[in-house]
Amino acid sequence: MTHDVAVLGGGPAGMAAATEAASHGARTVLLEESPLPGGQVYRALPPGYAGPADADRRAGDALRAALAASGADLRTGCRVWGLGGGPLVPQGAAAAPFTLSALGHDGVPFTITTRALVLCTGTHERIIPFPGWTLPGVIGLAAATILLKVQGVLPGRRIVVAGAGPLLYAVAAKVLAGGGQVAAVVDAATHGEWLRALPALAARPDLLAQGAAWRTRLLAAGVPVIHGAHVTAADGDGVLGRVRVGDRAIDADALCIGHGLVPATEATRTYRARHEHRPQDGGWVPVLDGRQRTSVPLLYAAGDGAGVRGAAAAPAAGRVAARAALDDLGLAHAGSQDAALDRARRAGAAMARMMALRPAMVEAIPPETIVCRCEGVTRAAIDAAAADGAVTINQLKHFTRCGMGPCQGRMCGEAAGALLAAAHGVPIGAVGFATGRIPLRPVPMEAILGAFDYADIPVPAAAPI
Amino acid sequence: MDQRIAAFSRPAAVTITVRGRPVVAHPGESLAAALVAAGLWRFGEGDDPARPRTAVCMMGVCQQCLLRVDGRLVQACLTPVAAGQVVTPA
Ligand SMILES: Cc1cc2nc3c(=O)[nH]c(=O)nc-3n(C[C@H](O)[C@@H](O)[C@H](O)COP(=O)(O)OP(=O)(O)OC[C@H]3O[C@@H](n4cnc5c(N)ncnc54)[C@H](O)[C@@H]3O)c2cc1C
Ligand code: FES
Repeated sequence: MTHDVAVLGGGPAGMAAATEAASHGARTVLLEESPLPGGQVYRALPPGYAGPADADRRAGDALRAALAASGADLRTGCRVWGLGGGPLVPQGAAAAPFTLSALGHDGVPFTITTRALVLCTGTHERIIPFPGWTLPGVIGLAAATILLKVQGVLPGRRIVVAGAGPLLYAVAAKVLAGGGQVAAVVDAATHGEWLRALPALAARPDLLAQGAAWRTRLLAAGVPVIHGAHVTAADGDGVLGRVRVGDRAIDADALCIGHGLVPATEATRTYRARHEHRPQDGGWVPVLDGRQRTSVPLLYAAGDGAGVRGAAAAPAAGRVAARAALDDLGLAHAGSQDAALDRARRAGAAMARMMALRPAMVEAIPPETIVCRCEGVTRAAIDAAAADGAVTINQLKHFTRCGMGPCQGRMCGEAAGALLAAAHGVPIGAVGFATGRIPLRPVPMEAILGAFDYADIPVPAAAPI
Repeated sequence: MDQRIAAFSRPAAVTITVRGRPVVAHPGESLAAALVAAGLWRFGEGDDPARPRTAVCMMGVCQQCLLRVDGRLVQACLTPVAAGQVVTPA
């Protein structure tokens, strides 16, 4: 069966997109890797777990309930690794329906065929390398939200929380609420940056109030907050023991650090949609029209994967994308207006600016510091490759193996791109991005090969001599 | 040492074996979270410059949390704990 609409990713954007499409009668399927939909912000607790109820939990439950009632075919616990169809057809052939290859929750591979595809793949975290960032005990800031909110685990006993953006204060407040100690908050943003963000945040008083509550809790606990500062090194004997901020040394057994979120554009890159480098949106993003359409017909992107705008904006963007798909398929004439979206986007944009890549931090990476931890590539190796003539990120990859390891450059790609651009004195956009390739996710070889036979390989006729 | 937050209720604890030692964990929590809760941050040794390896992203992206569970290679952050699992380095 060919679906009308497939949605990849079951975060707030994807849940809302699938709900909207299915409730207009489109044959809709949602594919999500986690055992339950929710995405990063509304990730469900493991079965049999109960935690403190909060606004996030309620918002996530509401989206899940609407989705369950919508009639969309929900495929959770499945890893989508392969993308095909659409524009990925032999040259000259007409665009085909999209195909998604996945490994099911039971380990059985399956394929989905769909006329329209809405990508809601979210983000991953950016960590700008610094000396000691590979030490055990150093984890991502967004990663810490998963430990604290979903697993109910403190990353350490005495924790430094560092980086940029609202997650800093969310994590610090959750550590305190969970009974941990916050040794310090190290915020890359200055007081002035936060003041400038206020007017846009006021568009979402609920978010502003939440932020104020987090800060009050830190103040009451006497947690030092250092503004306009960066972690300069982490050290310890085999595991983290100390965090250095300039000449200040702070004893800690965990450091939660993140410098913003990077849109997950593997799928739009694989489909060769047009992209732009927009630092204020998180980096490389697909170029969209006002209704979430990418440059590829019947391919849409919504949520933070299409440019970081935060959890509040994601569902509205998902609905707009679904309505565009319904219109384009001739299934419904759904309006595209969403008043809440504009307000949420304004607040989200102010936060995203704060989480944008900070070139000065990249510039400060010392030569011997590892940038690509999968392959052990240092800054010095990247600079040397640039001097040897690597101009694009794909060339850097071939020269140094940077970004070629198991994470496929998701952790280091941005820092590596910024270093290469700085070495050549060009904007980051000029060094390009790594070509999108499948598999999107690591999967066992058998899943990819399937019931493959050499006789199936099409052999083109030899060219006349 | 247990770094679990008391305000969560969870299924009764079980025992898994990590590098030959018993570790108390709760069924359903991620293996990565269980190791962190036990203060076991070193996920893998080896001689690569970025070793010892350790979980970074908790969401399946960084691939730094690879371990073997009953001999099978898994991402610890995406693998739920079950009683009796035998965990060895990747
Ligand atoms: C680790 C992390 C924690 C965060 N915590 C918070 C928070 O506490 N508060 C907050 O306001 N914001 C948080 N954010 C920001 C986040 O981006 C939210 O704004 C929000 O979750 C965005 O929603 P989304 O629907 O765009 O994407 P997401 O919520 O990221 O959802 C994307 C979904 O797509 C799925 N997916 C992606 N690729 C595949 C594939 N190939 N196969 C199958 N499934 C796939 C993922 O499993 C995921 O569930 C966090 C971000 C990260 C990375
Ligand atoms: S911790 Fe990053 S993949 Fe598991």
